[in-house]
Amino acid sequence: MASGVTVSDACKTTYEEIKKDKKHRYVIFFIKDERQIDVEVIGARDEEYDQFLQNLQAGGAGECRYGLYDFEYMHQCQGTSESSKKQKLFLMSWCPDTAKVKKKMLYSSSFDALKKSLVGVQKYIQATDLSEASQEAVEEKLRATDRQ
Amino acid sequence: MSGGMLYGGDEIGALVFDPGHHSLRVGYAQEDTPKAEIPAVVGVAPDETIKLEPEVKPEESNVSSTPQNKYYIDTTFLHTPRPNMELHSYMKDGMIENWDMFEKILDYSYDKIIQSESQYHPVLFSESPWNHRQKREQLTEIMFEKYKVPAFFLVKNAALAAFANGRATALVIDSGATHTSAVPVLDGYVISNALVKSPLGGDYLILRAREMLEQIGIDLTPSALIASKDVVRDKDKPKFTKKKLSFQPSNSWMTYMVKKTVQDFQQSVLQVSESPYDERIVSNIPSVHYEFPTGYHQDFSSERFKLAEGLFDHAMLGAGYIAATSAGMCDVDIRPALYSSVVLTGGNSLVQGFSERLNRDLSLRTPSSARLKMIAANGTVERRFGAWVGGSILASIGTFQQMWMSMQEYQESGKSQIDRKCP
Repeated sequence: MASGVTVSDACKTTYEEIKKDKKHRYVIFFIKDERQIDVEVIGARDEEYDQFLQNLQAGGAGECRYGLYDFEYMHQCQGTSESSKKQKLFLMSWCPDTAKVKKKMLYSSSFDALKKSLVGVQKYIQATDLSEASQEAVEEKLRATDRQ
Repeated sequence: MSGGMLYGGDEIGALVFDPGHHSLRVGYAQEDTPKAEIPAVVGVAPDETIKLEPEVKPEESNVSSTPQNKYYIDTTFLHTPRPNMELHSYMKDGMIENWDMFEKILDYSYDKIIQSESQYHPVLFSESPWNHRQKREQLTEIMFEKYKVPAFFLVKNAALAAFANGRATALVIDSGATHTSAVPVLDGYVISNALVKSPLGGDYLILRAREMLEQIGIDLTPSALIASKDVVRDKDKPKFTKKKLSFQPSNSWMTYMVKKTVQDFQQSVLQVSESPYDERIVSNIPSVHYEFPTGYHQDFSSERFKLAEGLFDHAMLGAGYIAATSAGMCDVDIRPALYSSVVLTGGNSLVQGFSERLNRDLSLRTPSSARLKMIAANGTVERRFGAWVGGSILASIGTFQQMWMSMQEYQESGKSQIDRKCP
């Protein structure tokens, strides 16, 4: 079941710019007029994770958002001496507990539409508080699918 | 999508119905709480008013030689003792069983609660995740044919509860009157082959509580039958006078009223202990005082926990067990996602300590790779009406208006269209 909210072309082009060209670090999406998912903030390549979190919550405690982040971390495979840099894209739905039910409903029921338009995202994360959205929690989730 | 956008805009006044075993929740979309909660029982009694006017139409009275029944719906009417009134439930196993009675309830809802005509309001219904195809089609048919609704939609209540808590993927633990179920929801779709349900719900607690109370000899006369009572001391024999009725209330009515009495006791007194029941631990917890409608009152201490333990201590049917089983039946890739968003809903989950205990039981079964996170709305309303609130919001979202199954689509493709529109 879906809400019928659509995804704007700007979302898809920005996503491609991150995925293919690595032009930006992250992008924040929001639902415009309860009809269409659109781009709110684009994060420059040199911005840190904290800035992403800040922008994600910029709307206040009562607002929900989606965020896409190109996450980098070092990973060492078992049996090798060198560690390599890994890049993974994750898409997060941010629905804080304090948000109005209507917002939560709108964002959670439209998440599927966004997922389907952005092909190639490695991990989907649903977050309701910072314990799920923090850098450590996200890294743990991304590493969970790595080979040891 | 033909004709879909006809219902666009927010000011359409869609209605949301959320049927359950305990009650049917009815109200307008976009509101925070249902307009009414109608008990899911119908009182049926022979109609005496017909005798008062015997000569209306002689030819008609010949046809209807069978006695006419009068139906009693909603709390005020049900709680009054009436001669020969039998109470029936129209629900069975989470699904609508008796359609005639259900239509009576719908008639009543439109007439007394919505106070408007059905053809002006699109209707969103919730349904249990294991609803049969034939029943969904029948409901669709009734809504379009009898009530002439302009548009209709059916959503699984577990999906609504998950959305209302901000999750599209979740393991929904719904503890209601007749059963507790664990339903995995993935991207808003119920994984129906992995749902697990157990018959341990609010009614089971009431049954156990009633057995216990009767065993220790407490009079459970419902307040509707009590004319007056005197103040008595703790544990003293109650002094009360019964109302004088010229008839004997039916058995089903008595059972229902006693159930309501015990339900109040259950809601105010029972508590789930945080760890498996242990006489020594719970004896240190302060007791709770409760007064029955008869005026009898006493303290309850370890009984509170012993009774509620029934929801959890069962090896195969305990709430923690069914949740873990349900997650275990899903694909291994999505299990971590399910464990990290366990949504708790249903009126019975409001028993004190329920969420803490479920959290504990489930954390023992959570695989080490997953992190357990339980989401339970704090408010009583959000928890009891979780699915209704979800439906209320869904039906009011602007873009949802193109999702409805419209009257036109029904007329073109028939009732089987519902399975395509609302999977």
